Amino acid sequence: MATNKFMIGVVPVGDTPVFVAKATAAHISGYLNLPTEILPALDTPSFAYDEKRLQYNAGIIIKTYEALEFGCEKVVALLDIDLFIPLFTHVFGEAKLGGKCALASIFRLKMERDGSCPAPSLVYERTAKVALHELGHLFNLRHCEDNRCLMHFSGDLEQLDRTPIHFCRYCNRFFKDALVDYSDSSFNS
Amino acid sequence: MKENMSIMVVDDEMIIRESFSHWFEKSGHKVSTAASGFEALEKLKEYPFDLLFVDIKMPGMDGIEFLEIVKKEYPDTFVVIITAYGSIESSVKAMKLGASDYLLKPFKPEQLNLVLEKIAQQKKLTGEIDYLKGRLDTMTRFDNIIGQSRAMVDIFELIPEVAESEASVLITGETGTGKELIAKAIHAKSRRNAHPFIAINCGAIPDSLLASELFGHQKGAFTGADHARKGFLEVVSGGTLFLDEIGEISTKMQVNLLRVLEEKKITQIGGREPIDVDFRLISATRRNLEKDIKERNFREDFYYRINVITIEVPPLRKRRADIPLLVEHFVKKYSSETAKRIDRVTDSAMDLLKNLEWPGNVRELENAIERAVVLSKSRTLDRKDFSFIRSAPVETKKTVSLSEMEKEFIRQALEQNEWNVTRTSKALGVHRVTLQKKIKRLNLRKSV
Repeated sequence: MATNKFMIGVVPVGDTPVFVAKATAAHISGYLNLPTEILPALDTPSFAYDEKRLQYNAGIIIKTYEALEFGCEKVVALLDIDLFIPLFTHVFGEAKLGGKCALASIFRLKMERDGSCPAPSLVYERTAKVALHELGHLFNLRHCEDNRCLMHFSGDLEQLDRTPIHFCRYCNRFFKDALVDYSDSSFNS
Repeated sequence: MKENMSIMVVDDEMIIRESFSHWFEKSGHKVSTAASGFEALEKLKEYPFDLLFVDIKMPGMDGIEFLEIVKKEYPDTFVVIITAYGSIESSVKAMKLGASDYLLKPFKPEQLNLVLEKIAQQKKLTGEIDYLKGRLDTMTRFDNIIGQSRAMVDIFELIPEVAESEASVLITGETGTGKELIAKAIHAKSRRNAHPFIAINCGAIPDSLLASELFGHQKGAFTGADHARKGFLEVVSGGTLFLDEIGEISTKMQVNLLRVLEEKKITQIGGREPIDVDFRLISATRRNLEKDIKERNFREDFYYRINVITIEVPPLRKRRADIPLLVEHFVKKYSSETAKRIDRVTDSAMDLLKNLEWPGNVRELENAIERAVVLSKSRTLDRKDFSFIRSAPVETKKTVSLSEMEKEFIRQALEQNEWNVTRTSKALGVHRVTLQKKIKRLNLRKSV
């Protein structure tokens, strides 16, 4: 399959509703000004299920997905399962710096701490924030100290809700530079 | 501002090391990993890491053993203990050994961030403390006590040695020789330097008030005691108390202070409960206390209590070699304070300053330079800029003949009596005719 330069693929996984994928793709297009494509859904990654923790290992999922050919430069997989990395109790999303595939899970975004359900629009917004944040890591962006930046680390929902859905001017600069670098490397290859 | 730290993760599980590494890299920190305590110790020899995340359960050397070694050999390195098998016992042990925090695996992502923020803050504070300690050291590095004469160099060498001990110090010397500066330098070099330095001029405070100042008082202890007040002996806690002009205090107060020095306890005026006090005493005097003891004005037992170490500060006239250095220092100081640009002091002016008696010692010299700098209208201080100084210069090196001395003596007497020969002869106790003959023989003339 030919790779679409700068095309960001959005893959719904398992039970993730397609409209969540559509909303996330729209946010990526809107905020990053990059073309997006909704890719065919994937099955729930049962291979990454950890029976002791009753959660899915985000590292194993990323490793598996990065070996797949999606036909896009970068891919954001949207899941509806509880993700973890061995260090933490849970993660909202995961990506490696400069990697190809990022994960964002709606599992903990669609339920408040008190057990109530937030409005769907808020869930879409949270998902888009996590997806864009992880996508930033795929473009080598690190966590930002500015809490008014999308790349600022959000450990809980309150913090995530306070985080804006755009980069600060520095991260924006880094992001644009990273795009240029990708453009050059793609052209050379 | 974000503090990027150099971090090492010490854990035998590769998945944990990788997990940490990816996480820290995403946060912009420099990360290294080690699979065992031994490997980590080797890496520590090569690179000064700011922070270590250490697993407790590791084969060979466990995390607690490793922590003990790190805190002994690299006390500035922060250590966070991580474990999947937490127990109160192990966490208490780790914290007692100096761990900065203790995390149970797996932990919430925000917990790790909080730990990092806390340690970054501690690192910043430690850095600030080190910087301020350095500044304090520079500021008190005898910078305010200037001298290159043998006597002063001996004192400079003595200060650090005296500072190390807890013994009482008695600084003797004429007024204005810088006794308080030496006391401050001893305090600054001592291990009490994080605590207060309180200076009290005993000669300036009446005895009854001095008791209240030193011991404090309870509310209603005497007329005017509207509220309870802590005394300096209590306030100085852990620091140094400098009692200037100790020779001026009454024998009753000497007895009271002697008891405090022996018992390390005080009782406030009007109070009943003794209060523990902890201070080092440095005293100073310009009097000859041994003479006062003979005359029964000073208690011998108190004298030996306050005089474990004696530092004698020489008067300025006995260290004239230091005068050019002091002059240069004060000219610079007051030029800067008054925003005047004074580049130099002429040789003639310097000769004058070097040959004056300076009964008020360094303080008098400082005042003279300040006045000259303030009043000077040129960039150079000349002899005429010091015309306000009254004390006569003395020839110290040149041998003066008897006739020259006689001439100078009569000239001064005449000047004091406005060249009135009758008055001068009466003052000198000689006949008027004798004086007239001497004026003629010595060729003395009134200068215009």
